[in-house]
Amino acid sequence: MTTVPVRPPLVRSSDRIIAGVCAGLAEHLGWPVRMVRIGMAVAALAGGAGLVFYGWLWIMVPTADESAKRNARRPASPIAPAVSIAPAVSMPPNQSAAVGPSLWSDAYSPGYPSGPVAPPLGGPAAAGPVGYSSAANPAPSGPYVAGAPSQAEGTAAVPGTGAWFRVRNMRYGKEILLGAGLLLVAAILIARLLGVEVPLGTLIPAAAILGGAAIAWMQLDETRRAGLVDKTKADQAGGWARLAAGLALVVAGVLVMVSGSGSWEQTWLALLASVAVLGGVALVLLPWGLKFWRDLETERAGRVRETERAEIAAHLHDSVLQTLALIQRRAANEHDVVRLARAQERELRGWLFRDPARDAGQLSDRIKAAAAEVEDGLGNAVDVVSVGDTAMTDRHEALVQASREAMLNASRHGGGPVSVYLEVSDGGAEVFVKDRGSGFELHTVPADRLGVRESIIGRMKRHGGSAEINSSPDGTEVRLKLPAAAEDNGEGKS
Amino acid sequence: MSTPALDGTAGDPGRTVRVVIVDDHAIFRSGLKADLDPRIEVVGEAGTVEQAIEVIGRTRPEVVLLDVHLPGGLGGGGREVIAGSAALRGTTKFLALSVSDAAEDVVAVIRAGARGYVTKTISGAEITDAVYRVAGGDAVFSPRLAGFVLDAFGTAPADIADDELDKLSARELEVMRLIARGYSYKEVAKELFISIKTVETHVSAVLRKLQLSSRHELTKWAAERRLL
Repeated sequence: MTTVPVRPPLVRSSDRIIAGVCAGLAEHLGWPVRMVRIGMAVAALAGGAGLVFYGWLWIMVPTADESAKRNARRPASPIAPAVSIAPAVSMPPNQSAAVGPSLWSDAYSPGYPSGPVAPPLGGPAAAGPVGYSSAANPAPSGPYVAGAPSQAEGTAAVPGTGAWFRVRNMRYGKEILLGAGLLLVAAILIARLLGVEVPLGTLIPAAAILGGAAIAWMQLDETRRAGLVDKTKADQAGGWARLAAGLALVVAGVLVMVSGSGSWEQTWLALLASVAVLGGVALVLLPWGLKFWRDLETERAGRVRETERAEIAAHLHDSVLQTLALIQRRAANEHDVVRLARAQERELRGWLFRDPARDAGQLSDRIKAAAAEVEDGLGNAVDVVSVGDTAMTDRHEALVQASREAMLNASRHGGGPVSVYLEVSDGGAEVFVKDRGSGFELHTVPADRLGVRESIIGRMKRHGGSAEINSSPDGTEVRLKLPAAAEDNGEGKS
Repeated sequence: MSTPALDGTAGDPGRTVRVVIVDDHAIFRSGLKADLDPRIEVVGEAGTVEQAIEVIGRTRPEVVLLDVHLPGGLGGGGREVIAGSAALRGTTKFLALSVSDAAEDVVAVIRAGARGYVTKTISGAEITDAVYRVAGGDAVFSPRLAGFVLDAFGTAPADIADDELDKLSARELEVMRLIARGYSYKEVAKELFISIKTVETHVSAVLRKLQLSSRHELTKWAAERRLL
């Protein structure tokens, strides 16, 4: 298998003289472009075969852009199997045993809809409770977090791959069909040349019927495949055109076949009669058809809603209900309750307001993560306000580490909530960490305590920044400043 | 979220302030009522947009503690309540209250006319202070709101040539930065060697700009940021 060289897909190249066919072909076959072009020109001289071939490729082969667009739409389809297999992935009741009976069953009943629930392809379930797992009592979360996503994925993966095979097999269906048709025509022509009598009068209408039916059926399959996922207007228009073409072909084929002779008068009459009958039938069946269609649409919308609901229910179950259960058990310990509530709030906010378009790993994300870590560790609220953002570099890493150290100190010695402010501008990044403790004098800190001197001031200086500590009886503020380096000045700033 | 910017002198702490609490969660309303200082008199409560407009019109409170997300009406929540109580503008002031710190919620309700924005996890003492401050005609800025303002208006000070509504002055920027860093009004005043009254003036000016600026970046910015 692996010895077969992987060819780049056949697409029309943007490096073009006429339509980019030759360059695309050359790339696909791994031949030099010049050779392909010359070959094509020579073939064009040989009775125009090259021209025909070129034209055919021009029509059949998509440009690189079109191809990319078409492929980009494909990954959306695995959602459809997830919807259709929903009944298969209901949570097995025996899982409650693995988790701890009281915790699970209490939390289970209010959060889940009574119907089957499919965590869609392990998404939210796998995302899991971020703050939760690092919280005080991770024991009950262990088996569930580890068990459930794998279960969901295990069941979901099988139909998913099945659908993919089908899609893959269908991909060249059109081309194969067209080739078969052309071969058939060629065979007939050759047969006639050799003097064999071919009953064209029967063959042509039969071919028309077959072709029309194929076109219409292909359309049906494709709608089913794209199904619930995307129904753009353009697709639908194309679908209707295809359906109409298929219908016209089949009707014409049937007419010619039935009327036999193919005389225009008879055909015309038959056509009129059949259209009249079809119209009558349509008139009678239309109300039912419309009702059926509307029911289908409602059911479809309902199923989409149900999936969304299931996703939300699954997430709430994984995170909020578990935390609430934990809070009930530890109600006596105020410190733990506050810490759990804060961690859960943070996690839920992250989930509700997450922006999938934003790439992770920005400076503000790292600062917020550091604050969350300090908050979890010491149980003291750390509020982050950020203005502007930038992509992380090694120097920013140092800034994050120094900020983290400052937050730790503020949280440990300050008491009360800690305010963190990050500002990124063209001039650089600044972080302010403020607490409301009783303050301290830097020179009274023993020389062997490395926290402030080394981890904050020294680290910032080594990376070309500066740190300043301002302490008064009202509180302490650490100011970290990292000027923008010459080369990344303003770059990546949003 | 704590709001340390709210301590210090606020309005006239001696007198009673009449407030209406608008929130669709009865538990939160009763909890808030219990938390508020006894000098604050809760004259009415409401749980939906229609109820709120009716109760506010009837009781004419000085301050309305207004949840941003409310059922009823046309789905506009707190914004719709402010718009529906336009007749009382000038006498009744609105302090927005929310669990959400999504930028578009905050900015939308401020632009509708609220005098401040605090999150629901704020302590009873802090919210009492904020009520007095709003009743006294000042604006209440939490560090996060200050952060939004800085993000929306940019951190570069205004030139003379700029439309004054579209940028913050250098002094206003300094005040906003300090508030975002967690400074109270008193601490801001001390840090900048100005009086608390001056700090309040700057904050009110920023609030006015936030409400009136037609800067298209501002609305675009608010729409783009789902979270900060």
